[in-house]
Amino acid sequence: MTSKVVVDLITGAALSVQNPMITQIALLVNNDLLYAALVFALVLIAEGRNSKRMKVLLSLVIAVGLGILVKTALAEQRPCAGEAWCPTGYSFPSLHATAAFTLMIAFLNKKSYPAFLLFALFIAFTRLNLGVHIFRDIAGALPLAVMAYYITGLAWPLVEKRAGRVLDG
Amino acid sequence: MDKELKRQLFHMAVGLAALLVLLHFGRGFAIATAFFTIIIGTLLINLRLRGRKIPIVQWFEKEFERAGAPLPGWGSACYATGVLMLLATLSDVNEIAASIFILAIGDGVSTILGRRGRMRIPYNQEKTVEGAAAFFVSSLPALAFAGPMAVPAIALATIAETLPVLEDNLIIPVACMTFFLVF
Repeated sequence: MTSKVVVDLITGAALSVQNPMITQIALLVNNDLLYAALVFALVLIAEGRNSKRMKVLLSLVIAVGLGILVKTALAEQRPCAGEAWCPTGYSFPSLHATAAFTLMIAFLNKKSYPAFLLFALFIAFTRLNLGVHIFRDIAGALPLAVMAYYITGLAWPLVEKRAGRVLDG
Repeated sequence: MDKELKRQLFHMAVGLAALLVLLHFGRGFAIATAFFTIIIGTLLINLRLRGRKIPIVQWFEKEFERAGAPLPGWGSACYATGVLMLLATLSDVNEIAASIFILAIGDGVSTILGRRGRMRIPYNQEKTVEGAAAFFVSSLPALAFAGPMAVPAIALATIAETLPVLEDNLIIPVACMTFFLVF
């Protein structure tokens, strides 16, 4: 069994699902602004404390920033490259999946975690189902999310102190 | 056998198992295995954080977890994350294998021998020069995978491992990955 076959099996299995409702959701999520708004709304809904909301949003910014950095450095073409409908930008890693996994990791200690896990897996599935990513792009997003949340955790005491000072005038 | 020694032997065994999966089944299978291991692992961490009793997970925590870990299973989660980072980002199987070897053996041996060291590293009092030397020497068999290019990669990973900034299981893969991507 070669590496390509297994990756292709997962990508291929996701691609083979033909469900108009899923396709509609996948196309909606494919819109960057709409997806950013959805992620932002989920943070506001799932977390009541402003401080924790800020921490999650900071980790999302770091994760997406790292993702853009890696995307630019590796400059890998999307599997759909050349098609008129294919999004611009590089393939590895998936920024949609990076954001979804970061959200998932941020709620690791919460009762709502399984819901965020399913959300992240569903977002990952929609990226494969649309044909804009391969499984490796999704898998590469998970370490970025862990790293981003870990870096946020290290930086947070300092950020919180400064933010507190600003808010206190 | 003390807990830290057991922990490091387990660390090395898991790394070698990951290496075997990579070499025998290929990169794609290894990526999928690491990915779903992390997904299942985070679900188990979540259950433990919410007070659920999972005997096998509790046994692992008792036997292998360091005291004062930020989360149950934190070290293992970082380790799997580091391995997945290497598998997904690097495309050359030999470079991935060399990096996993450095992470598994170098880090494990340096912790075991470094504890007995006396010469502290000036910028990180928790690490010793003997540990760093053990890291470098024990990682040298990675040459078998990546050839002479493994030497500067090991040197960079050795320096990264002594830094007090990030978890070893994350900073070593980042150092190896950066080196192989750049050179």
